[in-house]
Amino acid sequence: MNDFSQIEKELRKLRPARPSPILFERVEEAMTDGRADASHVRQPERLRYNWLSLGFGLAAAAVLVLFAAVKMERQQQTGKEIAQTSREPEAAPLLNRAQKSTSTDKFVPAGATRLVYNTRDEGLQFAGNSGQPLRRMRYQTHETWQWRNPTTGASLRVSYPAEEVVLIPVSGQ
Amino acid sequence: MQNLLSHEDWKSCFSEVAPGLLLFARQWVQSAADAEDVVQEAFVKFWRRNHKIENRALLYAAVRSIALDFIRRDSRRARREATAVGDTDEFIEPQFEFEDDTQRALAEAIDFLPCEQREVLVMKIWNELTFAEIADALGISQNTAASRYRYALAALRNMLQPQ
Repeated sequence: MNDFSQIEKELRKLRPARPSPILFERVEEAMTDGRADASHVRQPERLRYNWLSLGFGLAAAAVLVLFAAVKMERQQQTGKEIAQTSREPEAAPLLNRAQKSTSTDKFVPAGATRLVYNTRDEGLQFAGNSGQPLRRMRYQTHETWQWRNPTTGASLRVSYPAEEVVLIPVSGQ
Repeated sequence: MQNLLSHEDWKSCFSEVAPGLLLFARQWVQSAADAEDVVQEAFVKFWRRNHKIENRALLYAAVRSIALDFIRRDSRRARREATAVGDTDEFIEPQFEFEDDTQRALAEAIDFLPCEQREVLVMKIWNELTFAEIADALGISQNTAASRYRYALAALRNMLQPQ
């Protein structure tokens, strides 16, 4: 077994250097400041940091809520303005139309178009007991009908696809 | 139970432990001025948290932690100190008051010890901590602390033995 008593004795004779007198003054100053700080509430530093973090977090959340509220209010005001500007010109004709519709609720035909986009010849045939041959033509069309109310200026347009079969008598020369 | 809350208490406690604490801090920071900064911060923090001087392991753990933070704080300083820590045997020199050449040789031999052995030696010899306290402060087992201490003594004895 090793006996280290001699070396330990030698080591204990060796004295660490003394700290500078300034260190004591600095520590005393820090202690005095710390005493002043801690005289009211002495709490663990970690807890203080947590409270600080919590405080900053709450403040940030409050600011965000405030911004959100202001933004929503502005959006509502803009919406009101839009509604107000659009309501008068729109609402007035609607109102007039509603009032006038009872008296002048008449639409007159304003136009009709018939677009033939496909024609197919299906050959000759005889209809019934007739001895005259007929040519069977199939037309695929797109028809559009339009009406207009001359009082209000309103118009109505209806478009639909249509198919028509036409039998054309064929006369022999 | 001695408590550091009293003004006079802290003065007597600090004057008693300051030299050992400074020597302990010098294991990580090279200059004496930096070591004093570390010790001041650690001791004031220890006092403000209302710790008792009996719980010395906390005080030394605080010194160690603040010293390591001190090194990390400045990158240039960190590089310089990291180099010093890496070459601890050459550059970190605990400050001792020499009375003769034998003590000077002993101090120089201490400088050649590995850092982990030297910090245990400093805590045991010049701060009079128990192995339990050293283990608490360094976050190691008591057996490890005791082993490092014995290795340090054995190494010193070998270094100082006349050839």
